[in-house]
Amino acid sequence: MNTTADAIIIGGGIIGASCAYHLSQRGLSVHIIERDFPASGTSRACDGLILQWDKLPGTELALGLASQQLWQELGSQFGAEIGFEQAGTIFIAEQADQLDAGSLKAYALRDAGQHAEVLTPRELRELEPELAPDLAGGVLFPDDLQVDPRRATLAMLAAAQRRGAQIHSEEPVLDLQRAPDGDQAITGVITPGGSIAAPHVICAAGVWSAEIAQLAGLNIPIQPRKGHILVSDIRPKKIHHPLLEGGYATTVQSAAEDVQVALVAEMTASGSLLLGSSREFAGFDRRVSLAVIQAIAQRAVRFLPGLKHSSVIRSYVGLRPWSPDHLPLIGPTSGALGFYLASGHEGAGIGLAPITGKLIADWITGAALPDYAHTLLPDRFESLLEDTTNVLV
Amino acid sequence: MKTTELAVIGAGPGGLAAAITAASAGVRVTLIDEYPHPGGQYLRGAAQTSTPPVSRTEQRSRQLLHQLPHPNIEVLTGTLVWGIEDHTLALYNADGVRFLRAERIIIAAGGRERVLPFPGWTLPGVMTLGAAQILAKEHGLLPGKRILLAGSGPLLLAAAKSLLAQNAQIIAILEATHPIAWLAHASAIWGNFDRLREGGVYANVIRQHHIPYRIGQTIIQAAGEEYLESVTAAHLDRRGNPIPGSEEEIVADTLCLGFSLIPNTELTQLAECQHEYNPARGGWVPTRDQHLQTSQPDLYVVGEAAGIGGASMALLEGQIAALAITQRFNHIPTLQRQLRPLRRFGAMLNMLFSPLPALDALADDETILCRCQEVRAGEIRQAIRDGSHTLSSLKNHTHTGQGQCQGRTCGPLLTRLIASETDNLPENAGQFRPRPPLKPIPLSALAQEHHP
Repeated sequence: MNTTADAIIIGGGIIGASCAYHLSQRGLSVHIIERDFPASGTSRACDGLILQWDKLPGTELALGLASQQLWQELGSQFGAEIGFEQAGTIFIAEQADQLDAGSLKAYALRDAGQHAEVLTPRELRELEPELAPDLAGGVLFPDDLQVDPRRATLAMLAAAQRRGAQIHSEEPVLDLQRAPDGDQAITGVITPGGSIAAPHVICAAGVWSAEIAQLAGLNIPIQPRKGHILVSDIRPKKIHHPLLEGGYATTVQSAAEDVQVALVAEMTASGSLLLGSSREFAGFDRRVSLAVIQAIAQRAVRFLPGLKHSSVIRSYVGLRPWSPDHLPLIGPTSGALGFYLASGHEGAGIGLAPITGKLIADWITGAALPDYAHTLLPDRFESLLEDTTNVLV
Repeated sequence: MKTTELAVIGAGPGGLAAAITAASAGVRVTLIDEYPHPGGQYLRGAAQTSTPPVSRTEQRSRQLLHQLPHPNIEVLTGTLVWGIEDHTLALYNADGVRFLRAERIIIAAGGRERVLPFPGWTLPGVMTLGAAQILAKEHGLLPGKRILLAGSGPLLLAAAKSLLAQNAQIIAILEATHPIAWLAHASAIWGNFDRLREGGVYANVIRQHHIPYRIGQTIIQAAGEEYLESVTAAHLDRRGNPIPGSEEEIVADTLCLGFSLIPNTELTQLAECQHEYNPARGGWVPTRDQHLQTSQPDLYVVGEAAGIGGASMALLEGQIAALAITQRFNHIPTLQRQLRPLRRFGAMLNMLFSPLPALDALADDETILCRCQEVRAGEIRQAIRDGSHTLSSLKNHTHTGQGQCQGRTCGPLLTRLIASETDNLPENAGQFRPRPPLKPIPLSALAQEHHP
């Protein structure tokens, strides 16, 4: 198979799917190259919460809010097919100082046009009777959303396919093609199935992006950061909102080397609970850690004492693409013309997928860009053009 | 954290042989088993029984069991190993969760019956041969009043004997293998006289009770309102297809199933040991060196968990691993020589009694394949046609294998189904990836303050 296209997307996760969705919507012919199968990596090993309160004001929040708007549009288009729900989320505060921090987030988000309601301990328990009685309070963020990441990925890919996009599953990228005159331009990809030429090649390979970027001669600082999720048995009692302990925002922003654990509890459609979360740097090691299982179980029982009567039926880990400044790398690169990055979202990839796809489409089609788009350019990392021979983790 | 010199997981014949061989050389052993009593499925209820052993293997296994309690062996029964991290085992029992650090580990986790799905197989009253044996051997109970046994392999006969000891009414035993297939494997029997004797004992028991043993037949459907009421049996042709017109309805309230055994590899998978697909050993098995050590240092596997071959093989393998660990290498070659004909015989049984691919067609599109998540065969076949050619991909597209058994039941079924639908080798379908906890553990126990 030797063919040509307008754009090639490397990676069939939610970011690649969103890029395919937006590019095909603008009439470009798109090929998606996936080395395994769609949503086989991080996009099936994560939660589906779309939050704003964990974002820092500025570029991060602007991105989040723009993406929330796009998710609302996808929600009205796909609805139950992607498990879309405006469930809201509740920030739960164990101590008074966490409640203060939560209140500040509430005010900041209100200034940005979002809804937020600070809850007394009593109001908190009225909304979520299963929570422990000794908490300091909470904050309800009713605009937060929930989707099924795997189904959302497949739905966006299917929509792109209906507009002519082609998905190549089980086809790893062997190499990138370069312009014959020896400049740094990338002009296509080579897979075991043959070669595809395209003026735009987008790397949406998540935690595996560094490997692909290296083929383009770029040294990108994305590293895998491991997260654990426990799955409970199906429970008679329900929680009504996804619950996140106040310490979650701290672990999100932290770049600490040791394991960070903060409770995230989310109901699935079948009635079991997904219990997270942890963040640690462990390379590409995808083994479940016994100590982390225990630590998450302890946080879960601390906040939801009724869980003592439930069981954990299994667990899994996902690797999230960590970026050093906690912002994704989105857009063209000056070091490899025609090569774009759409990666480095860490735990926010589901939430930020729609805006990422839209920005990539804006860059490629020359559409007007928001100011913050330039803040996200991969060139902000000086290491990008350093020697790439020893970068892999 | 508690420590031990050698942890043996599984107290069946292989685990017992390993534990006692090592303990007699002065090694401090912790012998762990999920069930309330040691002995495994093979010796279940043996401590209470007065019936004579059916073979030298059973006699030797009972002798080993009677060496417990042993001063060098701590026996932890009713204890689940739910995780393994290098040399650390995560345990769960009535006292809660705790961790054990072992210098060496021998896994003797046994095997389990393969079950094939057909319309009605999820009805109450349909169970595995092993489940029926637990009721009969451990609790002295019968699973029902009119019992039918179906599947393939010697376990059908062993289960019949256990049930008959409780005066069960067995209507018939249906062996799916075609008799012509038996002739082709006759040569491997040479040197396995103890196994033949065992088979002879079973055959006698069945003859004495006038139980029809029907070769070349199996169950193609089970029916009942809320509980099993009747089954449809049919003759099979040499390829395993039901012969039209041969169907026969049989009234029964209990159907016990088992199409030969498959190795329990969850622990070796969790420990990230290298595995290979070997149909002569029952499917996926960990690769081992001559001393039965896996690709992970200090981790050994013996018995059915490393390849189905029966209790006699497990006894020898348990001894070999323990002798290697205690550096008594000069005894090993003799045992390895004794192992050879047993391996040959085991391979013959695995090949002979492995169900033919045509039997997978018994499940119609409405038949549930993944019981935990209630995924039907039709949805799975569609996903395979849409390009899901691995278990991992099927899990992603249909939710199969995401329930609390983590794919233990449906995994082997899906492997066969993918192979037959895509006309590909079963090993290309890959494996489900088990993760801790291997079986459900209460959050209250996990949240206890014991750290690995």
